[in-house]
Amino acid sequence: MPTHTKAAAHTTPTPDADIFTLHGGAGVPARLSRGGAGVPARLFHTTPTQPADILITGAHVIDPASKLNKHADIAIRHGTIAAIGKKLPRTPGVHVIDATGCYATPGLIDPHVHLREPGNERAETIATGTRAGVAGGFTTLCCMPNTTPCLDNDVMMRSVLDRARQTGACRVYPVGAATRGRKGEELAEIELMHRAGACAFSDDGDCVSSAAMMQRVLATVATTGKAFMQHCQDHQLSNAGVMHAGTLSTKLGLAGWPRAAEEIIIDRDLRLNAAINCRYHVQHLSSGGSIPIIRAARKAALPATAEATPHHLLLTCDNIDTSGYDTRYKMNPPLREQSDIDAIKHAIADGTITVLATDHAPHTHESKLLPFDAATFGIVGLETALALYIQALIADGVVNWPRLIDMLTLQPARLCNLDHLGLGQLTVGGPADVTIIDPNEQWTITDADLVGQSKNTPFLGRKVVGRAITTIVAGQIKMNRRPLVPA
Amino acid sequence: MKFAIRAGRVQGFLFTSAWWGWVYLGERVPGVVYCSMGKRIAGGGAGVVRGPGPGHGQGSGDGGALFARGHLLQLAGLSAKELRAILGRARVFAGHDADGSDDPKAWRERLRGKVVANLFFEDSTRTRVSFAVAAERLGAQVINLTSVGSSISKGETVADTALNVAAMGVDGIVMRHKSSGAPHLVVRTLAERAHSYDDAGRVCSVINAGDGRHEHPTQGLLDIYTIAERFDRLDGFDLSGLTVGIVGDIASSRVARSGIVGLGALGAKVVCIGPPTLVPRSIEAMGCTTTHDLDGVIGKLDAVNVLRIQFERHDGGGGGGEKMPGASNAVASVREYYEVYGLNSARLAKLRPGAIVMHPGPINRGVEMSSEAADSGQSMVLRQVRHGVAVRMAVLEMCLNASAQGR
Repeated sequence: MPTHTKAAAHTTPTPDADIFTLHGGAGVPARLSRGGAGVPARLFHTTPTQPADILITGAHVIDPASKLNKHADIAIRHGTIAAIGKKLPRTPGVHVIDATGCYATPGLIDPHVHLREPGNERAETIATGTRAGVAGGFTTLCCMPNTTPCLDNDVMMRSVLDRARQTGACRVYPVGAATRGRKGEELAEIELMHRAGACAFSDDGDCVSSAAMMQRVLATVATTGKAFMQHCQDHQLSNAGVMHAGTLSTKLGLAGWPRAAEEIIIDRDLRLNAAINCRYHVQHLSSGGSIPIIRAARKAALPATAEATPHHLLLTCDNIDTSGYDTRYKMNPPLREQSDIDAIKHAIADGTITVLATDHAPHTHESKLLPFDAATFGIVGLETALALYIQALIADGVVNWPRLIDMLTLQPARLCNLDHLGLGQLTVGGPADVTIIDPNEQWTITDADLVGQSKNTPFLGRKVVGRAITTIVAGQIKMNRRPLVPA
Repeated sequence: MKFAIRAGRVQGFLFTSAWWGWVYLGERVPGVVYCSMGKRIAGGGAGVVRGPGPGHGQGSGDGGALFARGHLLQLAGLSAKELRAILGRARVFAGHDADGSDDPKAWRERLRGKVVANLFFEDSTRTRVSFAVAAERLGAQVINLTSVGSSISKGETVADTALNVAAMGVDGIVMRHKSSGAPHLVVRTLAERAHSYDDAGRVCSVINAGDGRHEHPTQGLLDIYTIAERFDRLDGFDLSGLTVGIVGDIASSRVARSGIVGLGALGAKVVCIGPPTLVPRSIEAMGCTTTHDLDGVIGKLDAVNVLRIQFERHDGGGGGGEKMPGASNAVASVREYYEVYGLNSARLAKLRPGAIVMHPGPINRGVEMSSEAADSGQSMVLRQVRHGVAVRMAVLEMCLNASAQGR
């Protein structure tokens, strides 16, 4: 252990990087000190090693796929789950994680992140973004194609996959662009990207504006069996809009982005898709008015799904007014009103919305240090999403723990065709991606908790309860906030 | 706790607020130096009282709290009491005070030795000159900076420009910017970085001379002053019983927003008039009514404030017609607009006796207003300009004195 720490100190210049060091054995504090400046928290494991055998004991295991919801041990061997059951034997040399009082769940999957590499590495890289992911309990990230150059061909697809294998702290599956350069004018090489490993298709950041092009995209994506994810925004209607169109945008003199700009696109796409039956997914749903449209489609057994984000469940456009134009509240789609939050929660409770995402959107400090209309859109979310979802959905009684975990694991796995790989579930013989969650840990979101490259979130300073304390990817402990007990 | 100090005597007090640090509750007396007193008292000499510097992440959406710190970014959030304090001081500078006790010869001493920087990132004639004249009359020096001929054209951000100007030790920044909320960004940035450019961590005053479509607080104040003068409301600035119409491009107008807020706070009724594309119903949430029928309401107005159509803030329409530069997809043609909403002689005749016509300038004669209306006896256009100097003297004096206390 001491040599390990020393080696890490050599290669990792910042305290943040130091938290990637695996800690284990006696003498390691049970709880990491947080907030004390200069006290590095050691949480992460970066050294590629043989997957260690791990025994998770005393956890409350939730696996939505098998409907498991009870106390059990989980044994991990050679990167796969060896056994799930009561009182599993402690073989010599195994790392034991005492998860008493915690949930053990399939590794969390985020179907909507921006890793910014290639093109905007000052905001985020695959290395830093995946580190933020495992800090938040995520074992799989699906990254959007709005990089520079755009992820719109199989060569780019392979390059991102390679880069993720080299530098990623967790699994990364890229989403391919649906149109060339995400311009909405010509089809991208969807079939080639599909074969190269694209997990879904989207022009995220931009909507496919032309209905005619949308029809071609849906028809092409349908042949791959994968999902098309729409960034629902009628650009002509939202135009230069930078916040929710309503009384506050009028008062503040900011251009409005109305609900209808989202609803119109969902309605249009579902009509186009009725004859095509492509798997259609609504990204970052913001308007309460979008929900009846999706609910009706799902009732008619059409393949339509939708995702929520933490910020659209916890913040409203009022924050822009009370903060004096704080650009950290500038999101796309914009923060809306309490009635939208209520409607989204209702849609989550009744199963209209089945997927939870982050839309993790890192931005450099200077791109937010501009007047509101000129600043970038977006908020980082990987490190904070779980705690915020607990606050928005569990604390409020919208869903129970198995449902929450279902929406963070199995549902995004199905959306992104990852369930075939055994992800999003705990299966004996399947990949050992496991997240351990302490539902009672109280913490305050601070700068130090944001281990990615960017800090653009208005949630700094918020008190939350519940946190991922261990993240295991393919049998490797990638993040750990608790001591490991030698067997 | 906060104290207003005059010759060492406590005049009023304030309570702290968890949200903004300070909320002023006492009566604001013109000419009195207002200080805040935090946990830490520096110096110990007479009147050397300092509060804690502004912390990171504090909101800046509350006009009243900002004003207490020496910034005037908006009229929204200012109490009627605060508005009346500014207007009352402007009355002295306009030469309209009842007893004339304040000696104009002493005005040049009010801000002697202070430096005010005019940062105009957007074009201006009246406002920039008016602030310069106001500052000079109070003895302050004025530095003018415009986008052309400065590093703004080299890609420097508004926050960096303001930081640099503040670091030179100016006492006040008067700024105009095309983005709504730009002065809020400047105040937040100056406060966050205060200790990197000022040993005492002082933040200079920031006065908004127009931010995008948000507010133009000194224009709102001078419009109010002009109405109050005409209707003999200078004692107390109580505008109840008066109805003010604002006609035209409400959607693009920062003058309208400051007017709606300020007039409403002092008791006037405000009605916004114009085509639906320029008068959003959502403006009613700010405390006014809206109508698209100018002829239906014009006879009920005591004052009508006519606005220019800000074609430069509209999307270009499809060409054709006799549109103004830039064109607009909100107005079919100037011809139609003038016919339906232009203040012409016929409409001038429908005004109540004694009703006044105002315009913040620049006027586009023949678009929103005829020359007859602009030059008529009811036109207050030039009185507005005159009162603008007095109002800006009051604002500069109060803000610079407040910020000089090092908050």
